[in-house]
Amino acid sequence: MTGDGFGRRFAIRFPDGTAEIGPVVDLRDADAPVIPTGSQLRRAIRAGCPSRPDAPAVHAPAPGRVHAHVSRLASDTTIRTRPALAAVASDRGIETPYDDDLVDSIRSLRALPPAPVDDRELREARRQAAETGAETERLRERVATVRGRLAALRDAPSSDAEALTAAEASLSETTRRLSEVATERVAAAQRLSLLEERARTARDRRDARLRLEDRIGNLERMIREARVDAVADGFRDARHALVSQIRDADGGIDVSETSSDLVDALAVTRIAPVRAPVVVASDVAEALGGPDSAFDRLGAPLLIR
Amino acid sequence: MLVVTYSRRARETLRNACRAHEETVVRRFGRAALLRETEYGAFLACRLRERHAGDVQVERTEPFNEFADAPDAVREAAVAYETRDSPSTPYDRFAAGTDHPKSDAMRERKL
Repeated sequence: MTGDGFGRRFAIRFPDGTAEIGPVVDLRDADAPVIPTGSQLRRAIRAGCPSRPDAPAVHAPAPGRVHAHVSRLASDTTIRTRPALAAVASDRGIETPYDDDLVDSIRSLRALPPAPVDDRELREARRQAAETGAETERLRERVATVRGRLAALRDAPSSDAEALTAAEASLSETTRRLSEVATERVAAAQRLSLLEERARTARDRRDARLRLEDRIGNLERMIREARVDAVADGFRDARHALVSQIRDADGGIDVSETSSDLVDALAVTRIAPVRAPVVVASDVAEALGGPDSAFDRLGAPLLIR
Repeated sequence: MLVVTYSRRARETLRNACRAHEETVVRRFGRAALLRETEYGAFLACRLRERHAGDVQVERTEPFNEFADAPDAVREAAVAYETRDSPSTPYDRFAAGTDHPKSDAMRERKL
Protein backbone atom coordinates (compact mmCIF):
# COMPACT_ATOMS: atom_id res chain seq x y z
CA MET A 1 0.00 0.00 0.00
CA THR A 2 3.04 2.26 0.20
CA GLY A 3 4.88 4.12 -2.50
CA ASP A 4 1.98 4.14 -4.94
CA GLY A 5 2.17 7.86 -5.46
CA PHE A 6 0.72 7.83 -8.92
CA GLY A 7 -2.57 6.19 -7.96
CA ARG A 8 -3.03 8.75 -5.19
CA ARG A 9 -2.52 11.91 -7.20
CA PHE A 10 -4.81 14.84 -6.79
CA ALA A 11 -4.77 18.60 -7.30
CA ILE A 12 -6.11 21.43 -5.21
CA ARG A 13 -6.82 24.81 -6.72
CA PHE A 14 -7.25 27.83 -4.46
CA PRO A 15 -9.60 30.74 -5.12
CA ASP A 16 -6.64 32.97 -6.06
CA GLY A 17 -5.79 30.60 -8.89
CA THR A 18 -2.72 28.95 -7.36
CA ALA A 19 -2.71 25.18 -7.31
CA GLU A 20 -0.87 22.37 -5.60
CA ILE A 21 -0.44 18.82 -6.79
CA GLY A 22 -0.15 15.87 -4.49
CA PRO A 23 -0.29 12.75 -3.35
CA VAL A 24 0.83 14.93 -0.46
CA VAL A 25 0.08 18.65 -0.24
CA ASP A 26 1.54 20.38 2.74
CA LEU A 27 -0.53 23.51 3.20
CA ARG A 28 1.81 24.77 5.87
CA ASP A 29 4.12 25.96 3.10
CA ALA A 30 1.64 26.50 0.27
CA ASP A 31 1.81 29.67 -1.83
CA ALA A 32 -1.86 30.59 -1.48
CA PRO A 33 -2.42 33.75 0.55
CA VAL A 34 -5.40 32.29 2.42
CA ILE A 35 -5.31 28.69 3.51
CA PRO A 36 -8.80 27.18 3.63
CA THR A 37 -10.03 25.82 6.95
CA GLY A 38 -10.19 22.10 7.56
CA SER A 39 -13.92 21.98 7.05
CA GLN A 40 -13.66 24.00 3.81
CA LEU A 41 -11.10 21.49 2.59
CA ARG A 42 -13.28 18.52 3.51
CA ARG A 43 -16.25 20.10 1.81
CA ALA A 44 -14.19 20.65 -1.33
CA ILE A 45 -13.01 17.03 -1.28
CA ARG A 46 -16.57 15.78 -0.88
CA ALA A 47 -18.04 18.09 -3.49
CA GLY A 48 -15.37 17.72 -6.19
CA CYS A 49 -15.78 19.96 -9.24
CA PRO A 50 -17.15 22.33 -10.32
CA SER A 51 -16.90 24.45 -7.19
CA ARG A 52 -17.79 28.01 -6.31
CA PRO A 53 -15.11 30.50 -7.42
CA ASP A 54 -14.47 31.61 -3.83
CA ALA A 55 -13.99 28.06 -2.57
CA PRO A 56 -11.04 25.72 -3.07
CA ALA A 57 -11.51 23.00 -5.67
CA VAL A 58 -10.12 19.50 -5.31
CA HIS A 59 -9.57 17.33 -8.38
CA ALA A 60 -9.47 13.80 -7.03
CA PRO A 61 -11.37 10.55 -7.33
CA ALA A 62 -14.74 10.61 -5.59
CA PRO A 63 -14.47 9.69 -1.89
CA GLY A 64 -15.36 6.10 -1.14
CA ARG A 65 -17.56 5.03 1.74
CA VAL A 66 -14.75 4.96 4.27
CA HIS A 67 -13.65 8.50 3.48
CA ALA A 68 -16.34 10.08 5.65
CA HIS A 69 -14.95 8.20 8.65
CA VAL A 70 -11.35 9.37 8.20
CA SER A 71 -11.67 12.63 6.30
CA ARG A 72 -9.92 14.46 9.13
CA LEU A 73 -7.09 13.03 11.18
CA ALA A 74 -6.27 15.11 14.22
CA SER A 75 -5.68 14.49 17.90
CA ASP A 76 -9.37 15.10 18.66
CA THR A 77 -10.62 12.86 15.86
CA THR A 78 -13.40 10.49 16.83
CA ILE A 79 -14.39 7.42 14.90
CA ARG A 80 -16.99 4.67 15.20
CA THR A 81 -14.72 1.78 14.42
CA ARG A 82 -17.17 -0.91 13.38
CA PRO A 83 -19.06 1.15 10.80
CA ALA A 84 -15.69 2.42 9.55
CA LEU A 85 -14.35 -1.13 9.16
CA ALA A 86 -17.51 -2.19 7.35
CA ALA A 87 -16.96 0.74 5.00
CA VAL A 88 -13.33 -0.34 4.45
CA ALA A 89 -14.46 -3.81 3.43
CA SER A 90 -17.13 -2.33 1.19
CA ASP A 91 -14.61 -0.03 -0.53
CA ARG A 92 -12.32 -3.00 -0.97
CA GLY A 93 -15.13 -4.87 -2.67
CA ILE A 94 -15.09 -7.69 -0.12
CA GLU A 95 -17.98 -10.05 -0.75
CA THR A 96 -20.06 -11.76 1.90
CA PRO A 97 -22.32 -14.81 1.70
CA TYR A 98 -25.36 -12.51 2.07
CA ASP A 99 -24.76 -10.14 -0.84
CA ASP A 100 -26.85 -12.04 -3.39
CA ASP A 101 -29.70 -12.49 -0.94
CA LEU A 102 -29.68 -8.77 -0.25
CA VAL A 103 -29.77 -7.90 -3.95
CA ASP A 104 -32.64 -10.34 -4.47
CA SER A 105 -34.58 -9.01 -1.51
CA ILE A 106 -34.15 -5.41 -2.60
CA ARG A 107 -35.28 -6.35 -6.09
CA SER A 108 -38.34 -8.17 -4.71
CA LEU A 109 -39.19 -5.16 -2.59
CA ARG A 110 -38.95 -2.85 -5.59
CA ALA A 111 -41.18 -5.17 -7.58
CA LEU A 112 -43.79 -4.96 -4.85
CA PRO A 113 -44.90 -1.35 -4.52
CA PRO A 114 -47.19 -0.75 -1.57
CA ALA A 115 -50.70 -1.62 -2.68
CA PRO A 116 -52.75 1.55 -2.71
CA VAL A 117 -55.25 1.87 0.08
CA ASP A 118 -57.40 4.85 -0.68
CA ASP A 119 -57.49 6.10 2.82
CA ARG A 120 -59.56 9.17 2.04
CA GLU A 121 -62.23 7.08 0.36
CA LEU A 122 -62.23 4.63 3.23
CA ARG A 123 -62.47 7.42 5.76
CA GLU A 124 -65.37 8.97 3.86
CA ALA A 125 -67.12 5.60 3.79
CA ARG A 126 -66.64 5.23 7.55
CA ARG A 127 -68.07 8.69 8.10
CA GLN A 128 -71.05 7.96 5.82
CA ALA A 129 -71.77 4.68 7.56
CA ALA A 130 -71.59 6.33 10.97
CA GLU A 131 -73.75 9.31 9.99
CA THR A 132 -76.47 7.32 8.26
CA GLY A 133 -76.45 4.93 11.22
CA ALA A 134 -76.94 7.75 13.70
CA GLU A 135 -79.57 9.42 11.53
CA THR A 136 -81.50 6.17 11.20
CA GLU A 137 -81.56 5.76 14.95
CA ARG A 138 -82.71 9.35 15.42
CA LEU A 139 -85.55 8.96 12.91
CA ARG A 140 -86.58 5.64 14.37
CA GLU A 141 -87.00 7.26 17.76
CA ARG A 142 -88.84 10.17 16.15
CA VAL A 143 -91.28 7.79 14.43
CA ALA A 144 -91.97 6.12 17.77
CA THR A 145 -92.60 9.49 19.41
CA VAL A 146 -94.92 10.72 16.65
CA ARG A 147 -96.72 7.40 16.63
CA GLY A 148 -97.26 7.66 20.38
CA ARG A 149 -98.59 11.17 20.04
CA LEU A 150 -100.94 10.08 17.28
CA ALA A 151 -102.24 7.21 19.38
CA ALA A 152 -102.81 9.58 22.29
CA LEU A 153 -104.70 12.00 20.03
CA ARG A 154 -106.87 9.20 18.68
CA ASP A 155 -107.65 7.98 22.16
CA ALA A 156 -108.46 11.44 23.46
CA PRO A 157 -112.18 11.96 24.22
CA SER A 158 -112.39 15.33 22.51
CA SER A 159 -110.79 14.72 19.18
CA ASP A 160 -108.96 17.64 17.65
CA ALA A 161 -109.26 16.90 13.94
CA GLU A 162 -106.64 19.44 12.96
CA ALA A 163 -104.01 18.12 15.38
CA LEU A 164 -104.80 14.58 14.29
CA THR A 165 -104.24 15.41 10.64
CA ALA A 166 -101.00 17.20 11.45
CA ALA A 167 -99.74 14.24 13.50
CA GLU A 168 -100.69 11.82 10.72
CA ALA A 169 -98.86 13.93 8.17
CA SER A 170 -95.85 14.17 10.45
CA LEU A 171 -95.82 10.41 10.95
CA SER A 172 -96.02 9.68 7.26
CA GLU A 173 -93.27 12.21 6.52
CA THR A 174 -90.98 10.89 9.25
CA THR A 175 -91.61 7.29 8.16
CA ARG A 176 -90.78 8.20 4.59
CA ARG A 177 -87.52 9.84 5.66
CA LEU A 178 -86.68 6.90 7.89
CA SER A 179 -87.12 4.55 4.99
CA GLU A 180 -84.88 6.72 2.81
CA VAL A 181 -82.14 7.01 5.40
CA ALA A 182 -82.35 3.31 6.22
CA THR A 183 -81.73 2.55 2.55
CA GLU A 184 -78.78 4.94 2.55
CA ARG A 185 -77.50 3.25 5.66
CA VAL A 186 -77.54 -0.16 4.02
CA ALA A 187 -75.77 1.24 0.97
CA ALA A 188 -73.16 2.96 3.14
CA ALA A 189 -72.56 -0.20 5.15
CA GLN A 190 -72.14 -2.24 1.99
CA ARG A 191 -69.77 0.28 0.50
CA LEU A 192 -67.73 0.37 3.71
CA SER A 193 -67.44 -3.39 3.91
CA LEU A 194 -66.43 -3.53 0.24
CA LEU A 195 -63.69 -0.95 0.81
CA GLU A 196 -62.55 -2.66 4.00
CA GLU A 197 -62.30 -5.94 2.12
CA ARG A 198 -60.20 -4.22 -0.52
CA ALA A 199 -57.99 -2.64 2.15
CA ARG A 200 -57.51 -6.06 3.72
CA THR A 201 -56.25 -7.46 0.42
CA ALA A 202 -53.94 -4.48 0.01
CA ARG A 203 -52.59 -5.12 3.48
CA ASP A 204 -51.52 -8.61 2.47
CA ARG A 205 -49.09 -6.99 0.10
CA ARG A 206 -47.96 -4.47 2.70
CA ASP A 207 -47.42 -7.39 5.01
CA ALA A 208 -45.16 -9.04 2.44
CA ARG A 209 -43.31 -5.74 2.05
CA LEU A 210 -42.77 -5.42 5.77
CA ARG A 211 -41.34 -8.93 5.92
CA LEU A 212 -39.01 -8.09 3.04
CA GLU A 213 -37.93 -4.86 4.72
CA ASP A 214 -37.12 -6.77 7.88
CA ARG A 215 -35.22 -9.35 5.87
CA ILE A 216 -33.24 -6.59 4.18
CA GLY A 217 -32.48 -5.05 7.57
CA ASN A 218 -31.21 -8.40 8.90
CA LEU A 219 -29.13 -9.08 5.81
CA GLU A 220 -27.57 -5.63 5.99
CA ARG A 221 -26.66 -6.26 9.60
CA MET A 222 -25.13 -9.63 8.76
CA ILE A 223 -23.23 -8.13 5.84
CA ARG A 224 -21.90 -5.40 8.10
CA GLU A 225 -20.72 -7.97 10.61
CA ALA A 226 -19.12 -10.16 7.94
CA ARG A 227 -17.36 -7.13 6.49
CA VAL A 228 -16.02 -6.06 9.86
CA ASP A 229 -14.79 -9.61 10.49
CA ALA A 230 -13.09 -9.71 7.10
CA VAL A 231 -10.87 -6.70 7.83
CA ALA A 232 -10.56 -6.96 11.63
CA ASP A 233 -7.20 -8.78 11.58
CA GLY A 234 -5.67 -6.33 9.13
CA PHE A 235 -6.97 -3.47 11.25
CA ARG A 236 -5.40 -4.87 14.41
CA ASP A 237 -2.04 -5.40 12.68
CA ALA A 238 -2.11 -1.92 11.17
CA ARG A 239 -2.89 -0.47 14.55
CA HIS A 240 0.04 -2.26 16.21
CA ALA A 241 2.39 -1.15 13.45
CA LEU A 242 1.22 2.47 13.68
CA VAL A 243 1.59 2.63 17.43
CA SER A 244 5.19 1.48 17.26
CA GLN A 245 5.94 3.76 14.31
CA ILE A 246 4.56 6.78 16.12
CA ARG A 247 6.59 5.84 19.16
CA ASP A 248 9.77 5.42 17.07
CA ALA A 249 9.23 8.66 15.17
CA ASP A 250 9.01 10.50 18.47
CA GLY A 251 7.23 13.29 16.66
CA GLY A 252 5.59 15.02 19.56
CA ILE A 253 2.49 12.88 20.00
CA ASP A 254 2.79 10.62 22.98
CA VAL A 255 1.10 7.40 21.91
CA SER A 256 0.17 6.57 25.44
CA GLU A 257 -1.75 9.83 25.49
CA THR A 258 -2.98 9.65 21.94
CA SER A 259 -6.68 9.13 21.89
CA SER A 260 -7.36 5.61 20.82
CA ASP A 261 -9.84 7.08 18.35
CA LEU A 262 -7.02 8.77 16.45
CA VAL A 263 -4.97 5.58 16.26
CA ASP A 264 -8.11 3.70 15.18
CA ALA A 265 -8.72 6.27 12.46
CA LEU A 266 -5.10 6.09 11.29
CA ALA A 267 -5.25 2.29 11.15
CA VAL A 268 -8.54 2.42 9.24
CA THR A 269 -6.97 4.83 6.74
CA ARG A 270 -3.96 2.55 6.37
CA ILE A 271 -5.99 -0.53 5.47
CA ALA A 272 -8.54 1.30 3.32
CA PRO A 273 -8.23 2.03 -0.39
CA VAL A 274 -8.45 5.79 0.08
CA ARG A 275 -8.27 7.71 -3.22
CA ALA A 276 -9.60 11.13 -2.21
CA PRO A 277 -7.31 13.17 0.05
CA VAL A 278 -7.74 13.19 3.82
CA VAL A 279 -6.94 16.25 5.90
CA VAL A 280 -4.17 15.57 8.41
CA ALA A 281 -3.30 17.85 11.29
CA SER A 282 0.26 19.05 11.47
CA ASP A 283 1.10 17.28 14.72
CA VAL A 284 -0.32 14.01 13.45
CA ALA A 285 1.79 14.25 10.28
CA GLU A 286 4.87 14.91 12.41
CA ALA A 287 4.05 12.02 14.71
CA LEU A 288 4.07 9.79 11.65
CA GLY A 289 7.55 11.04 10.74
CA GLY A 290 6.68 13.99 8.50
CA PRO A 291 4.59 14.35 5.34
CA ASP A 292 6.29 11.74 3.14
CA SER A 293 6.55 9.21 5.89
CA ALA A 294 2.90 9.86 6.82
CA PHE A 295 1.94 9.20 3.21
CA ASP A 296 3.90 5.94 3.25
CA ARG A 297 2.34 4.88 6.52
CA LEU A 298 -1.22 5.74 5.59
CA GLY A 299 -1.19 4.98 1.86
CA ALA A 300 -3.67 7.78 1.27
CA PRO A 301 -3.40 11.15 -0.44
CA LEU A 302 -2.91 13.79 2.23
CA LEU A 303 -3.67 17.43 2.74
CA ILE A 304 -1.59 18.53 5.70
CA ARG A 305 -2.90 21.54 7.48
CA MET B 1 -59.14 -2.33 20.04
CA LEU B 2 -56.64 -4.16 17.91
CA VAL B 3 -54.10 -2.00 16.09
CA VAL B 4 -51.95 -3.71 13.44
CA THR B 5 -49.19 -1.91 11.56
CA TYR B 6 -47.96 -2.61 8.06
CA SER B 7 -44.76 -0.60 7.66
CA ARG B 8 -41.57 -0.15 9.61
CA ARG B 9 -42.36 3.46 10.41
CA ALA B 10 -45.89 2.69 11.56
CA ARG B 11 -44.56 -0.16 13.67
CA GLU B 12 -42.02 2.18 15.26
CA THR B 13 -44.71 4.75 16.06
CA LEU B 14 -46.88 2.06 17.61
CA ARG B 15 -43.95 0.81 19.65
CA ASN B 16 -43.26 4.30 20.95
CA ALA B 17 -46.94 4.91 21.69
CA CYS B 18 -47.12 1.65 23.64
CA ARG B 19 -44.01 2.52 25.61
CA ALA B 20 -45.35 5.97 26.45
CA HIS B 21 -48.92 4.92 27.27
CA GLU B 22 -48.66 1.62 29.08
CA GLU B 23 -51.91 2.26 30.94
CA THR B 24 -53.80 2.19 27.65
CA VAL B 25 -52.14 -0.93 26.27
CA VAL B 26 -53.68 -4.26 27.18
CA ARG B 27 -51.18 -6.38 25.22
CA ARG B 28 -48.35 -5.84 22.79
CA PHE B 29 -47.45 -8.24 20.00
CA GLY B 30 -44.53 -6.98 17.93
CA ARG B 31 -46.23 -4.97 15.24
CA ALA B 32 -49.69 -5.10 16.78
CA ALA B 33 -51.21 -4.03 20.05
CA LEU B 34 -54.45 -4.40 21.88
CA LEU B 35 -55.56 -1.05 23.23
CA ARG B 36 -57.97 -0.51 26.05
CA GLU B 37 -61.45 0.59 24.98
CA THR B 38 -61.19 4.06 26.44
CA GLU B 39 -61.39 7.42 24.78
CA TYR B 40 -57.65 7.59 25.15
CA GLY B 41 -57.27 4.27 23.34
CA ALA B 42 -59.38 5.71 20.54
CA PHE B 43 -57.27 8.88 20.62
CA LEU B 44 -54.09 6.84 20.10
CA ALA B 45 -55.73 4.79 17.35
CA CYS B 46 -56.89 7.95 15.56
CA ARG B 47 -53.44 9.46 15.79
CA LEU B 48 -51.82 6.35 14.33
CA ARG B 49 -54.37 6.28 11.54
CA GLU B 50 -53.85 9.98 10.89
CA ARG B 51 -50.11 9.60 10.63
CA HIS B 52 -49.79 6.31 8.79
CA ALA B 53 -53.12 5.98 6.98
CA GLY B 54 -53.19 2.69 5.07
CA ASP B 55 -50.33 1.23 7.08
CA VAL B 56 -52.51 1.04 10.17
CA GLN B 57 -55.45 -1.26 10.65
CA VAL B 58 -57.74 -0.71 13.61
CA GLU B 59 -60.35 -3.29 14.54
CA ARG B 60 -62.69 -3.41 17.47
CA THR B 61 -62.47 -6.73 19.21
CA GLU B 62 -64.79 -8.33 21.67
CA PRO B 63 -64.66 -11.53 23.70
CA PHE B 64 -65.78 -14.59 21.77
CA ASN B 65 -68.67 -16.40 23.40
CA GLU B 66 -68.73 -19.88 21.93
CA PHE B 67 -72.28 -20.41 23.15
CA ALA B 68 -73.58 -17.30 21.40
CA ASP B 69 -71.14 -16.76 18.54
CA ALA B 70 -70.65 -20.28 17.19
CA PRO B 71 -73.25 -22.81 16.04
CA ASP B 72 -73.75 -25.71 18.47
CA ALA B 73 -72.49 -28.22 15.93
CA VAL B 74 -69.22 -26.36 15.56
CA ARG B 75 -68.65 -26.01 19.29
CA GLU B 76 -69.54 -29.63 19.92
CA ALA B 77 -67.28 -30.82 17.11
CA ALA B 78 -64.38 -28.90 18.65
CA VAL B 79 -65.01 -30.38 22.09
CA ALA B 80 -65.34 -33.90 20.69
CA TYR B 81 -62.19 -33.55 18.57
CA GLU B 82 -60.09 -32.23 21.44
CA THR B 83 -61.11 -35.21 23.58
CA ARG B 84 -60.49 -37.79 20.83
CA ASP B 85 -58.71 -41.03 21.70
CA SER B 86 -55.96 -40.96 19.11
CA PRO B 87 -54.18 -37.64 18.94
CA SER B 88 -52.82 -38.24 15.43
CA THR B 89 -56.22 -38.51 13.71
CA PRO B 90 -56.78 -35.57 11.37
CA TYR B 91 -60.07 -33.77 11.89
CA ASP B 92 -61.75 -34.83 8.65
CA ARG B 93 -61.08 -38.50 9.27
CA PHE B 94 -62.35 -38.05 12.81
CA ALA B 95 -65.54 -36.36 11.51
CA ALA B 96 -66.21 -38.93 8.76
CA GLY B 97 -69.31 -40.98 9.48
CA THR B 98 -70.38 -38.72 12.35
CA ASP B 99 -72.70 -35.71 12.53
CA HIS B 100 -69.75 -33.35 12.98
CA PRO B 101 -69.44 -30.78 10.18
CA LYS B 102 -66.74 -31.18 7.54
CA SER B 103 -63.88 -28.71 7.74
CA ASP B 104 -64.47 -27.54 4.16
CA ALA B 105 -68.10 -26.84 4.92
CA MET B 106 -67.12 -24.81 7.98
CA ARG B 107 -64.62 -22.84 5.93
CA GLU B 108 -67.35 -21.87 3.50
CA ARG B 109 -69.87 -20.71 6.07
CA LYS B 110 -69.61 -17.29 7.65
CA LEU B 111 -70.47 -16.86 11.26
